[in-house]
Amino acid sequence: MPRLEPGSGKIKWYRSDGAVAVYSALISILIGMAVGAVIVVVVGLLKSNISTTGIWEGVRLVFLGVFSTGRSGSQLSFGFNAVNMGNMLFRAVPLIMTGLSVAVAFKTGLFNIGAAGQYLMGTMGTLSVGLWLGWAGVPTFIAWICAFLAGVILGGLWGAIPGLFKAFLNINEVITCIMTNWIAANLVTWWFDSHEMFKNSAEGGKIGYVIPLKNVGVVTPKMFMDVLFKGSQANGGFWIAVIIAIAMWIMMTKTTFGYELRACGANRHAAKYAGINDKKNIILSMAIAGCLAAAGASLYYLSGNTEFYWSTYQKLPAEGFNGIPVALLAANHPIGVIFSGIFMSMLNISGIQLKYLTAYNEYISDIIIAVIVYLSAFSMLFKTVLSKKIKKGTGGNVNDEPTPAQVAATPAEQNAQEEKEIIQNTNDFEEDILEDYKQLFDQNAEIAEAESEEGGQK
Amino acid sequence: MSEYVIEMNHIRKEFPGIVANDDITLQLKKGEIHALLGENGAGKSTLMSVLFGLYQPEAGEIKKDGKVVKINNPNDATALGIGMVHQHFKLIEVFTVLDNIILGAETTGAMGFLKKKEAREKVIALSEKYGLKVDVDAKVEDITVGMQQRVEILKMLYRDNDILIFDEPTAVLTPQEIDELMEIMRGFAKEGKSILFITHKLNEIMAVSDRVTVLRKGKYVGTVNTKDTNKQELSNMMVGRPVQLEIHKKPATPGETVLKVEGLTVPSKIHKNNAVNNVSFEVHAGEILCIAGIDGNGQTELVYGITGLEKATSGKITLLGEDISNASIRKRALTGMSHIPEDRHKHGLVLGYTLEQNLVLQKYKEPQFQNHGFIKFDEVRKYANRLIEEFDVRSGQGPITVARSMSGGNQQKAIIARELDRDEPLLVAVQPTRGLDVGAIEYIHSKIVEERDQGHAVLLVSLELEEVMGLSDRILVMYEGEIVGEVDPKKTTPEELGLYMSGAKRQGREAE
Amino acid sequence: MVFLIQQTMLYAVPLMIVALAGVCAERSGVINLALEGIMIFGAFMGVVFVRMFQNAGWTQDQGQLIMIISLFLTGICGIAFSMLLAFSAINLRADQTIGGTALNMLAPAIVMFFIYMIIQQNTMGMASGGAAGWFMIKPQTFGYEKGHSWGPIIDLFINKVYLTTYICIIIFVLVSIFLYKTKTGLRLRSCGENPQAADSLGINVHKMRYLGVGLSGFLAGVGGFTFSMTTANMTSNGDVAGYGFLALAVMIFGNWTPLNIAFGSMLFGLFKCIAATYATLDINGDGVYMLNELGISPYVYRMFPYFITLVVLAFTSKSSRVPKAEGIPYDKGQR
Repeated sequence: MPRLEPGSGKIKWYRSDGAVAVYSALISILIGMAVGAVIVVVVGLLKSNISTTGIWEGVRLVFLGVFSTGRSGSQLSFGFNAVNMGNMLFRAVPLIMTGLSVAVAFKTGLFNIGAAGQYLMGTMGTLSVGLWLGWAGVPTFIAWICAFLAGVILGGLWGAIPGLFKAFLNINEVITCIMTNWIAANLVTWWFDSHEMFKNSAEGGKIGYVIPLKNVGVVTPKMFMDVLFKGSQANGGFWIAVIIAIAMWIMMTKTTFGYELRACGANRHAAKYAGINDKKNIILSMAIAGCLAAAGASLYYLSGNTEFYWSTYQKLPAEGFNGIPVALLAANHPIGVIFSGIFMSMLNISGIQLKYLTAYNEYISDIIIAVIVYLSAFSMLFKTVLSKKIKKGTGGNVNDEPTPAQVAATPAEQNAQEEKEIIQNTNDFEEDILEDYKQLFDQNAEIAEAESEEGGQK
Repeated sequence: MSEYVIEMNHIRKEFPGIVANDDITLQLKKGEIHALLGENGAGKSTLMSVLFGLYQPEAGEIKKDGKVVKINNPNDATALGIGMVHQHFKLIEVFTVLDNIILGAETTGAMGFLKKKEAREKVIALSEKYGLKVDVDAKVEDITVGMQQRVEILKMLYRDNDILIFDEPTAVLTPQEIDELMEIMRGFAKEGKSILFITHKLNEIMAVSDRVTVLRKGKYVGTVNTKDTNKQELSNMMVGRPVQLEIHKKPATPGETVLKVEGLTVPSKIHKNNAVNNVSFEVHAGEILCIAGIDGNGQTELVYGITGLEKATSGKITLLGEDISNASIRKRALTGMSHIPEDRHKHGLVLGYTLEQNLVLQKYKEPQFQNHGFIKFDEVRKYANRLIEEFDVRSGQGPITVARSMSGGNQQKAIIARELDRDEPLLVAVQPTRGLDVGAIEYIHSKIVEERDQGHAVLLVSLELEEVMGLSDRILVMYEGEIVGEVDPKKTTPEELGLYMSGAKRQGREAE
Repeated sequence: MVFLIQQTMLYAVPLMIVALAGVCAERSGVINLALEGIMIFGAFMGVVFVRMFQNAGWTQDQGQLIMIISLFLTGICGIAFSMLLAFSAINLRADQTIGGTALNMLAPAIVMFFIYMIIQQNTMGMASGGAAGWFMIKPQTFGYEKGHSWGPIIDLFINKVYLTTYICIIIFVLVSIFLYKTKTGLRLRSCGENPQAADSLGINVHKMRYLGVGLSGFLAGVGGFTFSMTTANMTSNGDVAGYGFLALAVMIFGNWTPLNIAFGSMLFGLFKCIAATYATLDINGDGVYMLNELGISPYVYRMFPYFITLVVLAFTSKSSRVPKAEGIPYDKGQR
């Protein structure tokens, strides 16, 4: 029977597309970490000052850094480390948020490489408004809300700029995002440079930093995180990030707005054909992406004791770019972003352990992250190979399909025909099916092609 | 010396899950015009790609002059004297005609520097010898489709090919240009060149070919001498059952005006002139009005202008008495217009969405399917199941099948289900049967006629002359963005239409 | 004036080399977003090679020779690094933007990791001396005394300039000839416009794209070395200040043609130069630092090149001619 009843066509959960995405992410992670470990080993063998034990310690920290509890005697010790765990969740917050930012834009077919600039704008808005209102004596709760919103709105406006360029001039968002990043870096530096009051002149050697928000008491409540992870920096910001991620998931999958956004991403032309305002959606999507990235900065600095080095015009914040691997690893799924964000944060913690406990340094985790991004570039391939492997044996390829040649036949003829079709399934052939099969490999190509047809810009 | 210049024996070509060519044999004699006939999807293109070295067959052998040869890539094919005019021209638009002709077969001096002067002389000589007029220094994007085809033919001649493959060469030509092309093909055959002519049009086969090989669904059906067969027999061989060559419909009973277009002008994205220039017409309830013309004469842009996909610079569009000239796409649709778009992959479907999501593409905002912005998934599922049942859309997993994995025919049926179920007074259908097999074409034609008989107005844009003649109640011919003639399909001939389509004839000039 | 032109060239030369690198890749149909990463890697390898020669006992007198050899070796390293992009973009048909981003993240990570492993600092410079001392062409190079002047015209060309300026001009000429006058150039361009057509004519699209990316990698590596030498005193710290991206913008601004790119990079070089030197810039030689006295924040000058890029893109977007097949993976099966 060619047409499966709804439900009977379902595949088991461990064979679903979502599961395949998870497998392919895990493969990327494993390869990435393996590359990191190999570099540790090779460098260790080449350097005379690193012993075999040193190499072994390095490799173990690459994989298990977050469980490190320092050294007992000359041996590395491992176990539950509340401070590391808490700091991992704390540092995961901006990563989750920038990851969400990149993921939401991706779903609309946009590559938001401008999260760094949006993050900086969020930093500027939150710190300035937080300090102002703190000094003005506004109740801390209201000051917190205002500071948070100020950052988010500023980031949203900043994110909308590449969206405007894309929607109205069809200029590729990648290049405009990069330009707006550097403009933001200069703007933020200019802002703090010309406002002496924000500079932390009270503490010696801290003049290059903005006064932390804890000085005015505008900080995120801990929300039991201090109980769970004693001594760490973790606070309620993590829960807020989780709630935002769930909200994004609902928005993207359950609402007509999400339906429109994803339609624009999957096929801008078809969306336009269906009467969806593609320009509006592109701008909105980038604005939302900007809000999310900026919210990451807001939550990070609203923790109170984080300090911002304001002379940033030559350096963009790494959080902005690390949102890309977070999103890619999660296959742009908002809930997945929570986990991949925590994972990336864990790599950072491992890096720090490497730096303090061995002769290696923290950049090894950046290498691992870069390798993961590189691998996710062809995760499509992983997924195709995996789904073929996994879906074999579920009783027929889902792509196999009966021929429509006999549509005009009567029901009785049809039944007989259908039986034959099943036998002939491999022989009955339509070049269209063949084409569709190939398209599985070339989703990206198609979008790009449509874009270049538009006479598009880079 | 073998009787055949090229023999393809028992060719088998598989793609994952499907057999594209199953035991196919094709033998080409020297100096003959050999037609390869089959429906869309019968495996003709795959077979030719095997011959041209683009694919490697799993089984079978290719012989040239009786000797087995291995063709690994187009270079090998060229070395054997095989050349091909592809259905979709393989030209580089920003290059000049000369660069396009020499590309891949360049003559070079020291250090790989190009020697264009010699090449140019050779091209001009060839073009004069065969009467293939081209402008060697023009950029391909600036020349007509007819001239682009001549460039493709010159590419083969420049490489001294003597086995020439023409893949659906007539799709883009007027009846007159088709006659010219056939004359050129006969000339080549007389010179001793062998020609493979791929087509699904029976008239052309009867007119020009010596022998016909028929394929069906990847399988070899047979080879016959053209003079020993007729159109009905060929069409039976091609489809595997008797085919209704005629479309049966009652005479139209046109009612009031549904769509009125006055002085519509749409700019072109490709060139500086207007793609649609001051076009006016009306479509009435209960009639099928067909816009005929060669591809690229403004039909696409006309539809974009009417549906709102492209902004018109001037003109007025009235739908059911309401001025929609400046309305948004959605407003137009809601006023009473459904639209089967030209390109089902570009406009018609979101290929990454499931079937059910695609089926509500025009309706998701209606209260039936959403509540305060939240989609009612069970309603969507119910609706999708109904349409799937009613229009017999087949797919692997029913409503949750990803549109990308569906066959072309079923994708098109899904679009038709979605658009016809909206039950709007105006249906705009652009090339609704493009690239489909005969069964699907028959089905879609019957649906369009049904739509008309329900009293809806149908605006049909088609490039297929047979479809135009068979389906429409009234024909408008477009040439270079203007309507150059209105004819009654019962009183006209393909030749007359051809004269209009090529701009050689036009109505209304005298009146002005 | 001489100073201004020479300073502008310092900034324009690496931009131009890298923008031409971009052209080679994109004309073959591969978006090379990794230019920044390749530059970073090139700058690092350049410093490594120079240190190697210094440690091997080469002296300041052999400065030009050291530079040319290092430059060439750096280019080779650039090719090696760019092959990572080529492999993912061409063989695996992966998303080129993401692949490029991966390399842009990988380059600084690797560079920083090794700089720390080598010298336990975050910036690596030459083993001894500075870039100007070792590599700049100045009167001493020709045996004259320090401070010698040949008059403004000759000074402009051979006093206090780097040889890379002339190498850049040679590269410009070679790339132009290659793309427009040779068989391989014609074929390479056809792959960026319509790879299906090229394939049907027996052109190996994968080979051409590898060639394009490889050339691009060589030039971007050379560009990274040049950047490090002329503007960063031959140091490497895992950063080239967004130069690779600026080069991409110049390439788009120059409409993928070498001549326009040459013009565009001069313009951007001028802006960069003003941003870097506005405080000490004496345009008409009357001892007044005009730009400084305007009292505009330095950050405005620094923002300017990026801002101008946006404005220029906005105005040129309609007339630009992107290679048609750029960014689209070529699959042989999909004719």
